[in-house]
Amino acid sequence: MDFHERQLERQSFSQRSLLVASLLLIFIVVILFRTFSLQISNFTEFDEASLNNRTYSVPVQPLRGEILDRNGEVISENIATFDLVTTPRDIKDVDAFIEKIEKIIDLDKDEIDLYIKNFNSKAFFNRELVLKKNLSEIEIARFEVRGFEHKEAFVGKRFRRISRYDEILSHVLGYTGGARENNLDEQNRFRSNSWRDAVFSYANGLIEGKAGLEKTYNQSLTGTFGIKQFEVDARGRLVKELSYTPPINGENILTTLDIDAQKVAANQLGKRKGSIVVVDVETGGIVAIYSYPTFSVNKMANGISQLDYEDLINDPDKPFFDRSVAGRYPPASTIKPLVGIHALNRGQISWTTKIDDPGFFELPEDGRIFRSWGEIAHGLINLNQALIRSSNTFFFNLAYNSGINELADDFEKFGFGSTVCVDCILEDGGLVPRPQWKMNNLNFGWFKGDTVNIGVGQGYISATPIQLAHYTAALANKGIKKPLFLNNSLSGKVPSSEIELENFNQRDWRLLHKAMESVVESDYGTARRIRDQKDFLIAAKTGTGEIISLDSREEYERIREDQGLRDHAIIVAFAPAEKPKYAVSVIIENGESGGSVAGPVALSILKELLKE
Amino acid sequence: MIKKIYLDPYIFIGISLLAMVGVLILFSASEGDTTIVFKQSIYVVLGLILFLFVSQPDPDIYRRFSPLILFGTLVLVFIAYFFGPEINGARRWIRLFGFSFQPSELLKISLPLFLASFLFDKKLPINAKQTAISIFFILTCFLSVYIQPDLGTGLLIAASGFLVLFLAGLSWIFLGITIAAILIFSPFIWNNLLEPFQRDRIWTLFNPESDPYGSGWNIIQSKIAIGSGGFFGKGYGEGSQTHLNFLPETQTDFIFSVLAEEFGFIGVLLLLFLYASVLLRTFYLAVNARDRFCRLVIGGFIFTFGFNVMINLAMVIGLIPVVGMPLPFFSRGGTSLLSIFLMFGIITSMSTHKKFIPK
Repeated sequence: MDFHERQLERQSFSQRSLLVASLLLIFIVVILFRTFSLQISNFTEFDEASLNNRTYSVPVQPLRGEILDRNGEVISENIATFDLVTTPRDIKDVDAFIEKIEKIIDLDKDEIDLYIKNFNSKAFFNRELVLKKNLSEIEIARFEVRGFEHKEAFVGKRFRRISRYDEILSHVLGYTGGARENNLDEQNRFRSNSWRDAVFSYANGLIEGKAGLEKTYNQSLTGTFGIKQFEVDARGRLVKELSYTPPINGENILTTLDIDAQKVAANQLGKRKGSIVVVDVETGGIVAIYSYPTFSVNKMANGISQLDYEDLINDPDKPFFDRSVAGRYPPASTIKPLVGIHALNRGQISWTTKIDDPGFFELPEDGRIFRSWGEIAHGLINLNQALIRSSNTFFFNLAYNSGINELADDFEKFGFGSTVCVDCILEDGGLVPRPQWKMNNLNFGWFKGDTVNIGVGQGYISATPIQLAHYTAALANKGIKKPLFLNNSLSGKVPSSEIELENFNQRDWRLLHKAMESVVESDYGTARRIRDQKDFLIAAKTGTGEIISLDSREEYERIREDQGLRDHAIIVAFAPAEKPKYAVSVIIENGESGGSVAGPVALSILKELLKE
Repeated sequence: MIKKIYLDPYIFIGISLLAMVGVLILFSASEGDTTIVFKQSIYVVLGLILFLFVSQPDPDIYRRFSPLILFGTLVLVFIAYFFGPEINGARRWIRLFGFSFQPSELLKISLPLFLASFLFDKKLPINAKQTAISIFFILTCFLSVYIQPDLGTGLLIAASGFLVLFLAGLSWIFLGITIAAILIFSPFIWNNLLEPFQRDRIWTLFNPESDPYGSGWNIIQSKIAIGSGGFFGKGYGEGSQTHLNFLPETQTDFIFSVLAEEFGFIGVLLLLFLYASVLLRTFYLAVNARDRFCRLVIGGFIFTFGFNVMINLAMVIGLIPVVGMPLPFFSRGGTSLLSIFLMFGIITSMSTHKKFIPK
């Protein structure tokens, strides 16, 4: 190469290397720009992503609030037991593990099956699983001695939801059961997968109210979940705890219930199907509410065998069915005071108006006969006597001479046909029938006879025990209607209203109360059986709810053979009559006689409540 | 008797700093694993000794021995392929006295050396025959590494050869035709020559969210690590992405993400400044080298080094597909580190020795 060529070559090299160098420079600029965009412009986004990567918030379960009766006695509580808790993550071979544990602690087959089933579906990460609940002291001691051998299991304090009155408060109290995670995280504080690592306080894990008060007030009972924040690695393993916000336990609920009255109610009803509702007349608070047959809320909340559960579900008497709030019964003669009020208010009759009762009522239109119970002729009687003796003919007459819509209006004023309790669950509104209802549902026109039947609380009309108690309280309050409730904090907050009755004055109310007192006190009263067993006055009205309509006593004797077709015994009562404190409704299915069967039940409860 | 030590202070300081920062970051990336860091430190010390040693002889010695060096390296590469242990499905190591040695790294040095010595006295522009011979050697070296398999290193070796060829005066026409051909055949390459996982990586680059826990994971986590470093970084040893194992391959391919997470944009700027300084200095040395051979060698070395750095960075910040290319001075690996020191030693030798008898 000569000098010129060498110069040329040098020049070419410089140009070419400058070209490559510029390429590198472009590279550097692009990389700088990109890094700037990642680290400066989009810092917040990536910072959050990195935080999300490394932190993991686990919910810490609070304890549910307790439920108390009106005197502060606990009726639903959290009982701590010592359970054998395991950490499936550390267990490599379940069968070998169970075999090992079985040598120290007795396990029955159900426990093992349940454990293995849950183990296979939940044995990820840090989740714990209870192998055996409620260890005895001996079992704990036996385990603790060998505890160092079992790093995958420990004895932990876990709570259970327990009621000391699990069978007598079943329907009103309700029970808890497994909860869906998203129900418990309304503020979206946790990632969905963090629930499987939740720190449990209850042996059953996440729970929520499934029925009754536990459900109605689930939110305030539940409390607020605490947060345990962990640092996690890429495999989701917990590295260390970063922070801990303790849970806030749920609020206690003071109810209006009186456990002593409830016990008497349950005792009195015994093994008879039916319902008892007791209301505090002054406030509207429900003092006792009982429905039989019943079930154990403790079993429902803490494990019931499949067999027992199927028995409950398939029981023809429907133990889960809360008769008190959802049972539809004919109010029968207990509706008569209301029919009387109706007739007096519209000026149809006065207290002195007398109507002849030959023992039956003949419908003028078609001569159809409506019979009185027992076909007893009472002769010429006024409203007072008609109420005391529970004359059907008298009220057939009143209904006949009124109209169905007018009657229905007044029935509804007293709460029939709609729910009356503010915080009850699955409450039924009963039925106040009108011609339109019949046309829509039965595809038939309204007959005058339908109205006549309703005059004695039979026919299409139906009411729930709680409606009857509510109605009785309104009668006791002389027309002041108060919605019923269970949570004592609602006391005084639920607005009461005066039922509009233009021509029904305080004197009428006094006379009505007097007549209802005489139902018990008079020699002719249908509830005279309970007259001499007390030291206060009771105002009451009995009823006998017919299940099928019959034409004669002979016919009834025939169908009586079938217990399920016997009449329902009903009584509504309030006491003390002069200054009412409690109103009660008792329905005993197929109990036949309101006065002599339901009457003593009502009496016992009122005596318990009014004892000094 | 050594009368004079041949040393370029800028390069010496630059690479020493890079190597020290590299060990520092590796210490964090390896969760403070002292054995890894100790080993790497020994390589740094060995590297510096090697650097000083190869700086001393006159560069002509490299020219004269370059065919032998290339041949020797290729023999080692094949020994590794046929007799070496298989690690992670690849045969690229030779085990000696408890140390693993990766001869393919040395091809980045011996191939440019050889090509420069082959081309330094050829007329401009390089004719077809010379081009063909050069490409033959480039392909041989590339394939010997590609079959191991090690696409990343192979591409880098090929690049080092092509850079020398280009700098030596490859005809523009040939270059234009080659680029056009590659563009035309790229669909064929995509469909027939690329492995499915390689196609995945390219797809992932454009749409990492399509498979966030699979092929997209690495790049997503790397971006989160870099982005969450912010301006000042999370602090040394405090990178959560790094230490909680969200970031993959922290000691090798993704070590830049560790630095970016813990030292932030400031750290990235400092790193780029260090690299750029070394590149600028060697660029200056290349242009002012004493003869064509030295120019070509220094140019080939330094641009390969530059592209190596830039490709790694572009990869971890999600600009190009993940190809598996370590970051010089940072990624764990002795042979790679030693070959870099070797390279800078030769550069020093070439830039410090005057030519006494000009041709």
